Amino acid sequence: MVANEVVAAAAAVVEEPAPASAGAVDPMRLASRWRSPAEWGAAAAEMEAEPAPSELNTTNSSGLFAVVSTDRMSVRYLGVNQHGHDVGVVQANRPAPTRRAVYYFEMGVKNAGQKGQTSIGFTTENFKMRRQPGWESNSCGYHGDDGYLYRGPGKSESFGPKFTSGDTIGAGINYFSQEFFFTVTVNFGKEPFCFDIEGYIFEEKMKQQSVSDKLDLQPDISHWIVRSYLLHYGYQDTLNSFDMASETDPPSNHQNGYGEPPEMYGLSHRKLLRQLIMSGDIDSAFKKLGEWYPQDETSVICFLLHSQRFIEFIGAGQLEDAVKYARSNLANFLTHKAFDGLLKESVALLAYEKPAESCIGYLLDSPQREFVADAVNAAVLSTNPNMKDPESCLYSCLEKLLRQLTVCSFERRAFSGDQGDAFLLHKEVQSCDRSRCS
Amino acid sequence: MFLSRIVLRDLDSIDSPAASMASSKKLVTRDEWERKLRDVKIRKEDMNRLVMNFLVTEGFVDAADKFRVESGTQPDIDLATITDRMEVKRAVQSGNVQEAIEKINDLNPTILDTNPQLYFHLQQQKLIELIRAGKINEALEFAQEELAPRGEENQVFLEEIEKTVALLVFEDIKNCPYGELLDVSQRLKTASEVNAAILTSQSHEKDPKLPSLLKMLIWTQNQLDEKAAYPRINNFSTAALEDPAI
Repeated sequence: MVANEVVAAAAAVVEEPAPASAGAVDPMRLASRWRSPAEWGAAAAEMEAEPAPSELNTTNSSGLFAVVSTDRMSVRYLGVNQHGHDVGVVQANRPAPTRRAVYYFEMGVKNAGQKGQTSIGFTTENFKMRRQPGWESNSCGYHGDDGYLYRGPGKSESFGPKFTSGDTIGAGINYFSQEFFFTVTVNFGKEPFCFDIEGYIFEEKMKQQSVSDKLDLQPDISHWIVRSYLLHYGYQDTLNSFDMASETDPPSNHQNGYGEPPEMYGLSHRKLLRQLIMSGDIDSAFKKLGEWYPQDETSVICFLLHSQRFIEFIGAGQLEDAVKYARSNLANFLTHKAFDGLLKESVALLAYEKPAESCIGYLLDSPQREFVADAVNAAVLSTNPNMKDPESCLYSCLEKLLRQLTVCSFERRAFSGDQGDAFLLHKEVQSCDRSRCS
Repeated sequence: MFLSRIVLRDLDSIDSPAASMASSKKLVTRDEWERKLRDVKIRKEDMNRLVMNFLVTEGFVDAADKFRVESGTQPDIDLATITDRMEVKRAVQSGNVQEAIEKINDLNPTILDTNPQLYFHLQQQKLIELIRAGKINEALEFAQEELAPRGEENQVFLEEIEKTVALLVFEDIKNCPYGELLDVSQRLKTASEVNAAILTSQSHEKDPKLPSLLKMLIWTQNQLDEKAAYPRINNFSTAALEDPAI
């Protein structure tokens, strides 16, 4: 029995460029933050999307195999094995995916036949289906009868143990190290793979990380970035504790050489506004904002605060107040296209008996408040007369670096034939949690 | 269990799309790059978690608690354990090694049992502190009774003991070839080893995530340099984009 996979490069996906926004600071650019969890999931899946092999390709086989299982996962060799062109080859239904660190599959040998000539490997799609993988160019195969690795005409070498009936053989591609790898295990019926592929990937990641961990960072730069994050968003209490602890901590020269971040501006105001919004007290936030940083009544910020006020009414179950409020404060914004999405979704909350359990229930959660608070924070920062870069009102230093890392990582992958996994912060933060559980 | 590997490029004539375009660097203009940056979607929640992870791992317990309130981010560890961990760390940093050992055992007696190297380094630090304090007799006794037997088990330990004991021979410790053992940095080294061991015993990573992401950024930018000219970020404290060199 021969299982077989195909390697082919997938085309890069080019997204439609988003229109560049005019104007200095557009808090709606933070709007991607109020996506629902479902939307976030879909966005992540889209970045990662790539069909993987799921079953054997039963139409393009050599004809010497007959499909025996209904799930198209097992085949039996029906040919008469007399010479080198009597080989039965079967490929997977799709090429090996590339946008990941490692791709891996396994095959179990149920019956290796009299001569024990089974093999596993990788070929191109148009491989001659009557030849062993590794005998032809652009293919490689690990053969059970001699334990040799074949990688093109006349190229073979002693590689690993022989394998036969009852063994489970794995074949994989490590995109980071640019290697094929093969495994042999005695089957203990462990699901889903006999070989500990998770452990293998983890080790490979550690290897990757140890490469970059050798690089030098500017001294105390992490400390500085965290501090400027706290300043940027007006987390003043945290900032004070952080500074106090840093003073008593022995290596106390944390702020060395970087100077004061530009985001001291309006710190205590921004802190208070955030507190009010996060606690749902939009009326007070409105009042204070008007007092300290008067806003145009048709501005994005006013719209966001009004819609949040409306949402808070609904959260408190005061539907009549919500309707009244919407009529006098939200209706004016209906003509603005930019506000359309959020406005429609907010108003739609009225349609549900239990809005919190509806598909737009996330609007009632604290991330929505946080989005409004972040937008107000950006609006206050933009009134700083010393502000040089409008981008800095929206994004903290940390966020700019993470954006750069994401883009660089995806670009790098595009240059290497779309091979390997790219950086996604969400995945990275989750992996902190996962490694803790293990 | 068997695992073996071969390098992809050893294959007979495999067509690599990457190889064919290595000739000239692609130029990505600032406008293009900024559009890509804008299209990246990053959750505030994830950034908050990254910051919380830093505060917790580095032991900023008060700040972590305040951050929990201000940002609504749940810490990934019980905050009370940070206080204990920081006490141990501070004890080592200020030279109270015995106190640190006791506190570690109070926290979790298996930490030192399962970590002979850490235990040795703490004892070595204790010897260093005795020598620093000029308690020569006590230092000798401690070295002979506690440390010497450990050196018989382990060649690396033995060399470390020899270096440390050599400090006793020099009257002018500052000019001793192993004088760096008396430096504050040696305490900090031991303290950070202790910190890491406690975190590991609490099933928490020993290093914060942020620095490794920053290093990943350096690495990725360096890699991308080989293929493209694009706006880099060289100064992480301003995160300002630099125009691509053409």
